[in-house]
Amino acid sequence: MFLQQLVNGLVIGGIYAMIAVGYTMIYGVIQLINFAHGEIYMLGAFFAITFISFLSLPFYVAFPLSMACCAICGVLLDIVAYRPLRRSPRLAALITAIGMSIFLQNLAMIIWGSRPKPFPQEALPAYFDTTAVSFGGVNLSWFHIFIFGLTLVMMIGLNLIIKKTRWGKAMRAVAQNQTMAALAGINVNRVISYTFALAGALGGAAGIMVGAYYNSIYPTMGYVAGVKAFAAAVLGGIGSVPGAMLGGVVLGVAEAFGAGYLSSLYRDGISYAVMIIVIILIPAGLFGRVLKETKKSM
Amino acid sequence: MDKPISPNLTRGAKIRIGLLILALVLPVLPLVSDYLLHIIILIFLYMILSLGLNIVPGFNGLLDLGYVGFYGIGAYTSGLLTYHFGLSYWVIIPLAFINGAIWGILLGAPTLRLTGDYFAIVTFGFSELVVLFLTNEIWLTRGPLGLPGIDVVSIDLTLFGGPKWEFVGEVPYYYLALCMVLVTVFVMYRIQDSRLGRAWFAIRDDEVAAVSCGINLLTYKVIAFAISAAFGAVGGSFFARWVTFLSPDMFKFWESFLILCMIVLGGMGNIWGVMIGAALLVSLSEVLREILPLFGLPAEVRFLAFGLIMVLMMRYRPAGMLPIPAVAAQMRAGRTKRKKEKPVAGLKS
Amino acid sequence: MIPILEIKNLNKFFGGLRALKDISFNINQGEIIGLIGPNGAGKTTLFNCVAGIEKPTDGRITFSIDDRAFSIGGRKPETVTALGIARTFQNIRLFDNLTVSDNVKIGRHCRTRSIFFGAVIRSKFQRTEEKMITESAEQFLEFVGLKGRGQEIASSMPYGDQRRLEIARALATEPRLLMLDEPAAGMNPQESRGLTKLIHRIRDEGITVLLIEHDMKVVMGVCERVVVINHGEWLAEGVPQDVQNNPKVIEAYLGTGAADAAQAG
Repeated sequence: MFLQQLVNGLVIGGIYAMIAVGYTMIYGVIQLINFAHGEIYMLGAFFAITFISFLSLPFYVAFPLSMACCAICGVLLDIVAYRPLRRSPRLAALITAIGMSIFLQNLAMIIWGSRPKPFPQEALPAYFDTTAVSFGGVNLSWFHIFIFGLTLVMMIGLNLIIKKTRWGKAMRAVAQNQTMAALAGINVNRVISYTFALAGALGGAAGIMVGAYYNSIYPTMGYVAGVKAFAAAVLGGIGSVPGAMLGGVVLGVAEAFGAGYLSSLYRDGISYAVMIIVIILIPAGLFGRVLKETKKSM
Repeated sequence: MDKPISPNLTRGAKIRIGLLILALVLPVLPLVSDYLLHIIILIFLYMILSLGLNIVPGFNGLLDLGYVGFYGIGAYTSGLLTYHFGLSYWVIIPLAFINGAIWGILLGAPTLRLTGDYFAIVTFGFSELVVLFLTNEIWLTRGPLGLPGIDVVSIDLTLFGGPKWEFVGEVPYYYLALCMVLVTVFVMYRIQDSRLGRAWFAIRDDEVAAVSCGINLLTYKVIAFAISAAFGAVGGSFFARWVTFLSPDMFKFWESFLILCMIVLGGMGNIWGVMIGAALLVSLSEVLREILPLFGLPAEVRFLAFGLIMVLMMRYRPAGMLPIPAVAAQMRAGRTKRKKEKPVAGLKS
Repeated sequence: MIPILEIKNLNKFFGGLRALKDISFNINQGEIIGLIGPNGAGKTTLFNCVAGIEKPTDGRITFSIDDRAFSIGGRKPETVTALGIARTFQNIRLFDNLTVSDNVKIGRHCRTRSIFFGAVIRSKFQRTEEKMITESAEQFLEFVGLKGRGQEIASSMPYGDQRRLEIARALATEPRLLMLDEPAAGMNPQESRGLTKLIHRIRDEGITVLLIEHDMKVVMGVCERVVVINHGEWLAEGVPQDVQNNPKVIEAYLGTGAADAAQAG
């Protein structure tokens, strides 16, 4: 039981981590909690099943294609909704983010209907179902390996991008000080778009994996997952990418154990409780900086 | 601010008096169906809720995303007290007010020292936990099955040897709701023009200047939050005794968002703006609820309209339809908290 | 006579940056003291430490009134105001969107009590208190020369009037010590003269005044004693004329060699 829960926790934790880094990156560059990020995750799943079912694309084509579409959606979200409010007070931007989240959820409902859809299992590689590794009473299927592996690869990839590439450096610069970054010649808007694209791609990937794994895709799936991933980002310290990754895994494992040993009814509540407790007691999270209030000059 | 009552009332005052008279006689007018009364009672309910929420973002400048939590707590407390103990509505209302205030203090005291974003998130988490609790604690709330059979409101004079008169149909509820709205508006006006209101506006405008005048930020923010929660709970209590059936999915986050839409649309901080926002959005919601199925869409999709409205409002008219200058200044793009520079080239000391 | 304000070995670090270094000086009741020094010397930081906006890293600040001494380093700003120290801000912090009258009324906050039930029920206590607030607000406005302007919106007033309003609001807290941060900044000579008169009248009401100022005419005209700080350190202290001729002070403002040049020239 213990190992089973651990495996469950790590799987879902990896997913949360992928969504959480999206929140944290966007917060890092524009100091906005992107409430609509969960909807990008949801759209990833829907894009995937649409590509597979309607365009008959194979899974390994639909997957990256959906990711790309999510990246584009993220960029559009910024350009349409957030960029015009770049200089507006936070209250206005927060309300806009919530508005977009609700808008996208309902748009998905109109387009795809509100009833949960299954993932076309026949599109998944057949060997996904077979056991790859077995130990301690727990069976790890290739699907598990795939999710673990892909999550790991993407996290490493993200870290490399942030640390080693020009774009990554630019993102870090903008996150530290937008004005100075602009003065140093960085096209801030472009960097922000790039951040949204990255966040969107990762979120979309998470959505596809969840949709395939749990075999259920519905327009409001981004809502709960989004809140939990946000809790993970807060736990790790908002603004810190490694923190979000760690926070995601920790939260996933905590949730699995909590649901397994304490109460499965309050599975979602664990994330909310963690979030509230972390915010109140250690707002800086495990790694991070406290959410900045712009310091007023005397 | 005690001006003598002038014989020439302002246009605004005339409109309000006209509306009040209309409201008083509405149920007896021809063509007014029970359905229409039901909608208007709903509008009154949301006016009370909006006025309550308005205190936090409108008077104090903080975003509260968890208002539905207090609404739900009020509704279920009222419903359960009625269901198990048969408590009279007139006893429940003050109890609900106090209960709401207590919850507001409990939630507010540890969280109102946080920055705005964090506070918003924590309130959101709180309301989600409330829904989870209502759904899961079946022994208490009957969970998703809901709580039916709540007594209607009644005026019980049997103790004095008089009759017991139970509310039947929409009309008595209409007048009850109207009274509650009027009392709420009255309270809001009184607060606005008082030391408490001024302290809130000071906090909204400039926290540093406010503390230098001796205002303890946390105390006054908690008071605001508690009073806001109290009105939420009172609204919930009315709701429970009116629809006589409760279920946890009536108290989801979308309700918080909807009420937030109302105050944003109407004009945050403006008592009349908020009420107009409530009237508009409830009406819009009902209209859409009827129309959308005709297009083959589920009625829930009307929330899409609200999401869109909010995005557009924030873009083009963030202070709402009836903005008040203080909030308009707060919401204007380009406004930073940096205060005026001296006209002469000023440098830091 | 115990000084109304004693600052002893006040130190303030911002991370690695030392803003205030071992500052010590006293202010006696009823004095008008000027705090001067080049830009960046730490004057506003000192104000902030006294007023409670910043917490001193080290040192003691003691506020003594009516034979009672209060240690105020590290206290919250609202407590400091309630004890009897009011301040204005270098970059004027009014409640821009409220009326002039409301701004001053809010200054009365720490001397009044009504909260929710008073507001709603309008008890006798509350009504009496509200009347007092309104009347005293008018008196404070009149005192600073803004009589009858109560209904104007604060941000719509001319700059000099906004400064006066801020002073009126500070006075409304009934301070025993009033700290003014560059009150004459941006004022023309006529306004500065009016300000000087106002400060004298404030002192005549029994309020001790500490002001940061760059306008030397105002400093000379109104301050009985002047404290000079530079780079966060106490540099000199004395009557304005002496300080003005102090070579170290001249050097601080104009650079090395200037003192000799001044003496030679």
